[in-house]
Amino acid sequence: MKVLKRVLGAVALCLGAMVLIQPVHAEENLVDVIKKRGKLQVGIGAFVPWAMRDKQGQLIGFEVDVATKLAKDMGVQIELMPTAWDAIIPSMIAGKFDMLNGMSITPQRKEQIDFTVPYAISGQGVTASKQLASKLKWPEDYNNANVTFACRRGIAACKLIEDKWPKATLRQFDDDAIAFQEVINGNAHAVISSEPKPTFFTLKNPDRLFKPTAENVSNGEDAFGMRKANPAMMAYLNDWIGKNKDWIKQRHTYWFKTQEWAALVPQ
Amino acid sequence: MQTSSSGPRVAPRKSSRSRWDWGWLDGLLLLTMAIVIGFLVWRTDAVFKYQWKWSGIWPFIVRFDETSGRWVTNLLFDGLLTTLRLAFWGILLAGVIGTVMGLARTSQRLLFRLIGGGYVMLIRNIPPIVFVFVFVYFIASQIMPVLAIGNRVQTLPAFWQSTLAVLFGPVRMIDNFMLGLMCLSVFSGAYVTEIVRAGIQSVPASQIEAGKSLGFLKLDILRFIVLPQAWRNVLPPMAGQFIQLIKDSSLVSLVSIQELTFSAQDVQVTTQRVFEVFVFVAVVYFILCLSLSRLFAHMERRHARALK
Repeated sequence: MKVLKRVLGAVALCLGAMVLIQPVHAEENLVDVIKKRGKLQVGIGAFVPWAMRDKQGQLIGFEVDVATKLAKDMGVQIELMPTAWDAIIPSMIAGKFDMLNGMSITPQRKEQIDFTVPYAISGQGVTASKQLASKLKWPEDYNNANVTFACRRGIAACKLIEDKWPKATLRQFDDDAIAFQEVINGNAHAVISSEPKPTFFTLKNPDRLFKPTAENVSNGEDAFGMRKANPAMMAYLNDWIGKNKDWIKQRHTYWFKTQEWAALVPQ
Repeated sequence: MQTSSSGPRVAPRKSSRSRWDWGWLDGLLLLTMAIVIGFLVWRTDAVFKYQWKWSGIWPFIVRFDETSGRWVTNLLFDGLLTTLRLAFWGILLAGVIGTVMGLARTSQRLLFRLIGGGYVMLIRNIPPIVFVFVFVYFIASQIMPVLAIGNRVQTLPAFWQSTLAVLFGPVRMIDNFMLGLMCLSVFSGAYVTEIVRAGIQSVPASQIEAGKSLGFLKLDILRFIVLPQAWRNVLPPMAGQFIQLIKDSSLVSLVSIQELTFSAQDVQVTTQRVFEVFVFVAVVYFILCLSLSRLFAHMERRHARALK
């Protein structure tokens, strides 16, 4: 009995300690929290040209520009937190950073987090293997159990493939480059990813890849994401987007329509 | 890790044939290996349409900074440093946790045995990846804001800040690092616990009885009799576990701890040189783990000599 009492006592102690360290998450006005902290923490996943590393190892890209300008306008420092893309939503919910940039709005994601109004359009494009898919008719022939699609796990394209080509086999990879490599090697028929990457890869591997359609497979709207129930932050960000529409558009053109930045990145 | 010479000692052979004498069998073996490797390379090249290009990844290890005119480290090298720090502190912490829990597990008291047993049972029966996610999102996300290590460090004097930067990495990344370290050492600690328990139980009861009859205190029996013998017995499995720890450190890249594997993924995305980066990272881990296993082999030899 003595032992049992001790065990119970220890368990009670542990529970007590857990209750004591619980209350950190009662979220107050996030804008105030950020200003008080003097630092805006933004979760960012590596994607060319949204966010990538330049020759100095620093993060550059469209979303880096957006986050930097946003922090500057808030009057705080920016802290970019590189995060694995498929864990970026749980990381934000766990409070590792305040918000995330440039995420395509989908109904599934909306269940977990809140989105601002969109500030950029991102299209999903396709590229296919010449060896396997040159005789297939886009898009109807691709809805076949013998056709294999590749995509990077966690991005909107994977869901899109499941919806549009339910019969096709879908293989998901941790990394975009591997998904594309599978198609180049002739192990998968087609890969869908955010433009301009599919176009870029097709141009680089003209003997192995081709674009079944020049049009985007779908168009997504990118927005800021944040933890649920944060009206002050939501209002602030929506207002900021409204005020900076032209600037955002100009940066978007620079990163997505030109190759002027190519010299910044090691090839 | 059978390099130990603790087995029966054989007098060195006097014959003129040295251990490395060349025989026809060696030649045949080498030839076969060369053919197999050559065939693999040829097949890979035929199936695997990939243009190897290494130039993109070297600047991410070290680069020449034009503004300061010096060579500076870059992403991959910094990632390697973080992995080294994770390995060093991880081995130390897992060793401490494992020793304490191993002692608890062999304790006379039921409560301690239950705590040690519960800890091992909980962690050993969850896959490492699942553990990493559960630990980081449910447990560490409660603890880290309370500790607020990063903020506390930033209030320290500059001298301490720079010392801590050498030990644990850049100050602004210290929370990130500590999270990975906690995760890794709690996880590996469970396996170390079992090794320590096996070591302690391998010491014959007569040794402890002898200590008691000589009037040793309980703590002294542990210090002078049990632990030294236990340590020698568990050196080989312990080496294996610590090497495993280095490799497991790549798991925490899943929760965005910026060590070698995570940096490598960033570099892959940027340069699109996936396989070059993979090969590079594999070589680096191999060298790390091999050095550690050589170190342990050396320690085993030293212990064996000390026994003579």
